[in-house]
Amino acid sequence: MNRRIVITGLGAVTPAGIGAPALADAVREGRSAVGPITRFDASNHPCRVAAEVRQFDPADGIRKDQSRYVKKMAKVMAVDIQMAVAAANLAILDCGLPIGDAKANEPVLPTIDHTRFGMIFGTSFIPTELDDLAGPVRASHIDGRFSLKGWGSAGMAQLSPLWLLKYLPNMHACHTGILWDAQGPSNSLTTSDAGGLLALDEASRILRRGGADWMLAGGAESRVNPVMMLRYCLVHRLATANDNPPTACRPFDLDRTGQVSGEGAAVLMIEGSDVAEKRDARIYAEVLGTGAGTTTAGVNACDADGLAVATACRRALAAANVAPSNLGAVVAHGTAFAPQDRSEAAGLRAALGAAAQSVPVTAIKGVTGNLGAASGLAELVTAILVLREGRVSPILNCERPDPEAGLALVVGTPVNMKSELVLITSNAIGGQAAAAVVRLL
Amino acid sequence: MRRRVVITGMGSVTPLGLTVEETWQNLLACKSGIRPNRVFDASTFPTTFAAQVPEFDIARYVKNAADFAKSGRNVRFAAAAARMALEDAHLAAGMFDPTRTGIYLGSGEGTLDFFTLCESIAHGTGEDGKVSAAKFAEMGLKRYDGLQELEQEPNMAANHLAAECGIAGPTYSCLTACAASTQAIGEATDLLRTGELDVMMAGGTHSMIHPLGVTGFNLLTAISTEHKDEPWRASRPFDKDRAGFVLGEGSTIMILETLDHANAHGAKIWAELIGFGSSADAYRMTDIHPEGRGPSAAMRLALADASVKPEDIDYISAHGTGTTENDKVETLSVKLVFGAHAYKVPMSSVKSTLGHLIAAAGATELMTCIMAIRDQILPPTMNLETPDPECDLDYVPNAARKAKVEVCLSNSFGFGGQNDSLVVRRFVP
Repeated sequence: MNRRIVITGLGAVTPAGIGAPALADAVREGRSAVGPITRFDASNHPCRVAAEVRQFDPADGIRKDQSRYVKKMAKVMAVDIQMAVAAANLAILDCGLPIGDAKANEPVLPTIDHTRFGMIFGTSFIPTELDDLAGPVRASHIDGRFSLKGWGSAGMAQLSPLWLLKYLPNMHACHTGILWDAQGPSNSLTTSDAGGLLALDEASRILRRGGADWMLAGGAESRVNPVMMLRYCLVHRLATANDNPPTACRPFDLDRTGQVSGEGAAVLMIEGSDVAEKRDARIYAEVLGTGAGTTTAGVNACDADGLAVATACRRALAAANVAPSNLGAVVAHGTAFAPQDRSEAAGLRAALGAAAQSVPVTAIKGVTGNLGAASGLAELVTAILVLREGRVSPILNCERPDPEAGLALVVGTPVNMKSELVLITSNAIGGQAAAAVVRLL
Repeated sequence: MRRRVVITGMGSVTPLGLTVEETWQNLLACKSGIRPNRVFDASTFPTTFAAQVPEFDIARYVKNAADFAKSGRNVRFAAAAARMALEDAHLAAGMFDPTRTGIYLGSGEGTLDFFTLCESIAHGTGEDGKVSAAKFAEMGLKRYDGLQELEQEPNMAANHLAAECGIAGPTYSCLTACAASTQAIGEATDLLRTGELDVMMAGGTHSMIHPLGVTGFNLLTAISTEHKDEPWRASRPFDKDRAGFVLGEGSTIMILETLDHANAHGAKIWAELIGFGSSADAYRMTDIHPEGRGPSAAMRLALADASVKPEDIDYISAHGTGTTENDKVETLSVKLVFGAHAYKVPMSSVKSTLGHLIAAAGATELMTCIMAIRDQILPPTMNLETPDPECDLDYVPNAARKAKVEVCLSNSFGFGGQNDSLVVRRFVP
């Protein structure tokens, strides 16, 4: 079935602010959301900067019965899950589907068949908040030492009975599905940085095979916690430039020192064009094609020839039937971790061929930090809201572009787009790469 | 236009064996894989037993065992199963196009360094009961091994398999709790049907037999705490005295190919994947919809996708966890879909002896369906001693049974509301 897939709703909760427009504004203005870590005392972490999401309320803007549910459940939702729910709510509210009247006992989305509404989220395994474990650990001590026997007999009982559910990687979709009565396919992809775009890839495939008519494609992750920050410090992925946080994340810049951790959620409502046109929906963009690839270089490595990124981009371009020279822009992953940047640049050069010299390439992580599983779709949201004005924003903090990148990196001032076709790509170190080609409308 | 998808290779490590054949024969012989927990000291935990994979040497399976030195149990299981599956499919490197070959795993977390976590937390906890992240980091920086920490991420199994087997196409890793590997195989099937890819390595791997895993399920009272002295009696799907599931671990990996690709290299074909259905309960975080809305939808969708009628199904591999609610609702859902025929379709739960492999459960149960088709025999539901009036179907109680088996339905329902069903059929050219 050659069903066309369109994007009709945007939701984002990012360090740049709440809502997709806040993210777009920050990118347009080149305003970095990276700052010193305030969430916890990071004074002993080698990397002490991050992009944090400020105040948000996942119960905002939704029906009263829904907000009651969210308020009740918030204590068993880790921050990743709360951001996912908030961004999903924004995307659904943005897509223009009528909301049912709770007092009249109407379904939440009375004009759709709820069994034809599903969702795919890119998520991650969420580390337990240290404070949740403090009491149980203390109660586990026997003779002054932490003891597994003590954990079993006394420690574990100090945890909340629902502790496990607060952190499971499928709870983003579970809660969102309950809130919006989405009874169609539901999946949670744990493919790190590639999760968001792979969620779009799978959600599009489900729409194309006729498995649903409406799908949320989302990604959500917080890396701003002591455990993940420590993990990525220990494997030397994070920036070491702590002194001037807004300049810490420098994609494709010669002076880059590593990734800056971020957090956020980005969710799209996508539909079959038949369904969207029938209800006269506002259409932001068409998903022309998606693709994926994987590195074989090892689980903590980036392939030098960029094969994973090249494979993902080639597959997406082929699925979209778009020649690289017809692209108006590329939004790269651009984490500013040197081996990853170099690998991505090599992959883009390989996939774009001669067009690598001319197609403008931008990246937004100087603004947002690395949103992990949310990054690919946050970048897509940016493409939709910023690039459709016809201009490609420069890469924040890319002041001395790496000449070895061999790409038309957008530096300093915006450049004009020559078409409305955009390639977005993400990749996880040691793992998956994903790409999507969209036509902005 | 939709391409036919066949299974050409299987590999598996489970609590009942280190090969597909060994697990299968032990299932038919009614042996149990459930034993006192030897993975860690659980002597003071409410649940002291689990279904554990026997010790094995990873070096027998992989090119370079050192690549797996810091891996968790999940990754090691997956590596062994994947290597056996590729060998079974006779797919040596060079016989598949790396970028037209993918991976789709239902995959869990790696093994947590629990002592370092807890001791660093203890080091960081102040008088107020709050943890200073700075003091946590002070100890953590000295104690944690960064690479071992990375191995906890749930895409690590797929990443290792890509590197180990030279697979460079699309790879996915999902974690929809107990439904994950059924969903993985279903979506992998779709990737082949569209013609985007030739070969998929698909299945699941998981071990939650670690202190936090058992803790989580004990706190939810989802796993059985009974029969400590005879743990093989603890997993009692569909029995009136069932009291929760028994945690298992392991991995089953299958090689799926388009029929054209399989024929091109003269592959032996185990079976054909003909149907996949996927739904969500969208009901409650902790409960299944009492009317079986989600499970019945998944089964109906799978049957429709396979173009078969309920009467065509010879055997159902139940999700059958042994929790009060699951078994009741699954029984009800089967009745909703199958009508009066529900009483004529045998349905068993291999979780009664294998335990619950969580993200690896669905793939392992699909494997038992394929073996049932090969040998024309059904694996039993063990420990079914006291009938439950709400569970009144034919569960193949307590002994394997000869039967005509051509088409099977395999169910998986995940905590959080994901429901997935697959239909597999004897291959007929």
